[in-house]
Amino acid sequence: MSRFGTQGALRAWDRFDAILVLAALALVGYGLVLIYSGSLASYDGPAASLENPVARQGLFAFIAIGVMFIVSRFDYHVLLHYAWWLYAISIVLLLALIPIGQTDFGSTRWFALGPIQFQPSEFAKIATVLLLARFLSEQGGDARDLRVLGGSLAITAPVLLLVFIQPDLGTSIIFAAIWLGMVVVAGIQRRHLLFFAAVFLAVLPFAWTFTVADYQIERISVLLDAEEDPLGAGYNPIQSQIAIGSGQFSGKGLTNGEQTQLDFLKVKTKDFIFSVLGEELGFAGAMALFALFIILLLRGIRAAQIAGDVPGQLIAAGIVITILMQAFINIAVNLGLFPVTGLPLPFVSQGGSSLLTLFIGIGIVQSIVMRHRAYRQF
Amino acid sequence: MSAAADRRDRRVNPGLSRNRPRGNVAVLRIAVVVLFAVLGGRLVQMQLVDGAGYAERAERNRIIVESVRPARGLIFDRKGRPLVENSGSFTALVTPAFLPEDAGDRYRLYLYLEDLLGIPALQIEEAVTAAVERGQRDLPLAIARALERDVALMLEQAAADLPGVALSVEPRRLYPGGPEFSHILGYVGPQSPEEWRVLQEDGYAFNESVGKVGVEARYEAALRGKPGSAITEVDAQGDLVTVIERADPEGGRSLVLSIDSELQRYVYELLSNTMGEASAAAAVVMSPVTGEVYAIVSVPTYDNNIFSLPDPGEEYQRLLDDPRIPLLHQALSPVAPGSTFKIITAAAALQEGNVTPATRRDVDSSVLEFIGEDGQPYYFYDWRVHGDIDLIGAIAWSSNIYFYMASCGIPQEGIGGLGSDTEQSAIVLGYYARSFGLGQVTGLDIASTESPGVIPSPEWKRRVRSGPLFNPEDRDWYLADTCFMGIGQGDVTATPLQIAIATAAVANGGWLLDPYVTSRILAADGSVVSTAEPSRQRVPVEEEHLAVIRRGMRQSVIDGAARLAALPDTLVAGKTGTAEFVDPEDGVTRERAWFTGFAPYDAPRVVVTVFYDLGVGGVKAAPAAADIIGYFLEHVDP
Repeated sequence: MSRFGTQGALRAWDRFDAILVLAALALVGYGLVLIYSGSLASYDGPAASLENPVARQGLFAFIAIGVMFIVSRFDYHVLLHYAWWLYAISIVLLLALIPIGQTDFGSTRWFALGPIQFQPSEFAKIATVLLLARFLSEQGGDARDLRVLGGSLAITAPVLLLVFIQPDLGTSIIFAAIWLGMVVVAGIQRRHLLFFAAVFLAVLPFAWTFTVADYQIERISVLLDAEEDPLGAGYNPIQSQIAIGSGQFSGKGLTNGEQTQLDFLKVKTKDFIFSVLGEELGFAGAMALFALFIILLLRGIRAAQIAGDVPGQLIAAGIVITILMQAFINIAVNLGLFPVTGLPLPFVSQGGSSLLTLFIGIGIVQSIVMRHRAYRQF
Repeated sequence: MSAAADRRDRRVNPGLSRNRPRGNVAVLRIAVVVLFAVLGGRLVQMQLVDGAGYAERAERNRIIVESVRPARGLIFDRKGRPLVENSGSFTALVTPAFLPEDAGDRYRLYLYLEDLLGIPALQIEEAVTAAVERGQRDLPLAIARALERDVALMLEQAAADLPGVALSVEPRRLYPGGPEFSHILGYVGPQSPEEWRVLQEDGYAFNESVGKVGVEARYEAALRGKPGSAITEVDAQGDLVTVIERADPEGGRSLVLSIDSELQRYVYELLSNTMGEASAAAAVVMSPVTGEVYAIVSVPTYDNNIFSLPDPGEEYQRLLDDPRIPLLHQALSPVAPGSTFKIITAAAALQEGNVTPATRRDVDSSVLEFIGEDGQPYYFYDWRVHGDIDLIGAIAWSSNIYFYMASCGIPQEGIGGLGSDTEQSAIVLGYYARSFGLGQVTGLDIASTESPGVIPSPEWKRRVRSGPLFNPEDRDWYLADTCFMGIGQGDVTATPLQIAIATAAVANGGWLLDPYVTSRILAADGSVVSTAEPSRQRVPVEEEHLAVIRRGMRQSVIDGAARLAALPDTLVAGKTGTAEFVDPEDGVTRERAWFTGFAPYDAPRVVVTVFYDLGVGGVKAAPAAADIIGYFLEHVDP
């Protein structure tokens, strides 16, 4: 008899977490509305066209949901089995970016495959979560041992650094958070945690001086006082804060925000889509978004809770951390709490590559939920 | 389970644990709550506590994106003398809506403007009242145009304290060189709707001027530079709050022409003073080595400065109405080349072998009787009795009968022409004419209405002579067509520039050059961006044949038709042309004067082609060419 859980999966669809998927779909739907409003000023073509950002995003969402169902059909142990391979492919792709990637706004993050842009760091996030889950569970799911901790750090550091030199500060922070979150779930000792915090604080000034690209320093210092230097780098933070603040409680109404519609806001269907929401739908709209995110994340945490085995738990935790941190950093950027990093708002921002990765993640979480009883027998 | 099975099991199901996971999941819940609480707290502060303040900022957040136009590139002659200046056109503007509310204050402001601009206060008041009545309270109203520079500066200073008064500065091109440069430089002007449709793609503003003709148009992209932009935040009153982003414009590139401005002026004045009864004239002075043009003159010309006036309409209309068509570039407009074309006929005949340098003809009469296709005799004339001459003598004395023989042959004497029959002869001659650059545009880098001219052929004649205006027999190609073509008459037309490059090809041993007037393009900082690369094609004629033609042209200046082109210190070689045409005004046959030549004979450095629309080549054009060559060798390339 196979141990791949097919028997357990016979009843698996009963356990399929519909609330998780509905929360994700609600976020995508919310995103479509905001993309529509954010692209009014730049797109005036027909509604049913692939040039239309709303139609495009809708199509990507449709494909992504299909992929999610396919992924959830598979036992996540298959993915764990290939974790080293997936990780190796990620490293190769990230290395390959150095000579042949597409440079965009001074940063090399993309491959152009004909009309489709493929971002290897999206793929690397999932691969790293899978490999960390496998590695930590092979060590008994216990990160109290310093060697286990060192091993997990050795897995994370290469991808983190490759992403950092692109340079993509936001995504490298995500990788750091994935590692930190997963070792915390796996039970890191408090003194080790304090030790890493101390190392981090000690290294920060050097990293600041030697490795952070000029534009990142500029963005970080602009964050400290966006008003002080509105030349260039301060533009986006000022405009997004004015947009959100002026939305007040109920917002100016969809498609009525002058910051959005008069083009003061830039990349407003992507990185600054939250500012569109803040301006046009106000505090109430933001709270609705937060509620959807919290539902989604708590359902993900539930999956970690009920997971049938250690790797399942760690994978679910890793995916929850990825989504949480990406959402947090993106919104924090919009609110002027964090330097501009170019991270999309998960499920909401326009972008097919990100959407596909996110739904693959949701599919893996479903796979864990659907099989939790099958693996609990052991 | 065996140990091996267990290992395999772990490989297949890595990390499979028999323990219920007991990881610290609660910390994730705490993280979600804490992080969203941070975001929520910040939102409460921004939207609920400070929201009204942000709303006010959004309200007065008037961000203006302006395009900052770069200074247009300059144009210099070959010795670095400037041919264009950038200047400003200053206009005083009044916006009625911003004027003082109080009538007394308003009138004091008008009185102040009267002092400054010399425009009566009452007149300003009337203009403002009229604008308000038209409902144009918010539009800036021009009350004085083309202000003097110092007045404009004073107004600019004063405007800070005068509500509703502003100075506008529009870039303006000034051409200090005089009208003799207009045909080369061209001018800039407002875009036509068709141009706007294309140019807005390149980021042109609607009211931005563009090069219309001349090098101003040909090198528009280089001269314009790259506009910068300024994003500024202004308050509700339109006053600058802060500059948010500024991208400096990239200055336009400058051109260094191969034109020598003093030579250009000399040639222009020479032609103007020797026009006599002629109404149009042109001259080309160029290098037979590189193809660079030292001077290219068209008379009459026009003042290109009128196009930068606020309203060129009246002056422009006068130019359009002038029967002498000053806007037409005579050096790029085709007319019958007359006997200057014989150098091409000679090259064709030598290369085809139907004439050799030793071929003689006794031109004992100025009339030659041909038997036409209809069996009737036709009489073709020469301009004098030349006696017994060879090819060199025929070139030197410009014998028509010799060149009838060389092109169409003399059938009744059994002398064949260039080809096997009359039509073939014309086709062969047409091939050589095209090889020497005729019948096609030269591509000179001046945006203009350069015309290719006509090299006729039997096929061409059938095509253009069809239609109800012509009889069927008008479409046939006759012996006379080939014969007249051989002496540059009939339907043949060529521009002075084409004749110049054909002459250059004879002078330089068989290279057809691409002529140009722009030798270098400079970046805004003066560094050289690109340099003209001479390009050329081989003419299909042996160098030894061209040497014969050069000898004929030299002989023409020594003791032939072009004697008046001789200079004491230099060996000049040349060919005159006197093309007959029937004046459409009165039906009288008149003559156009041509001369084309080069110097020095043994190592040519300059080609000169001169054309007057009325006159005899050897009398009028040859001496002018001699003066130009003399001036060139003394002042431009001593």
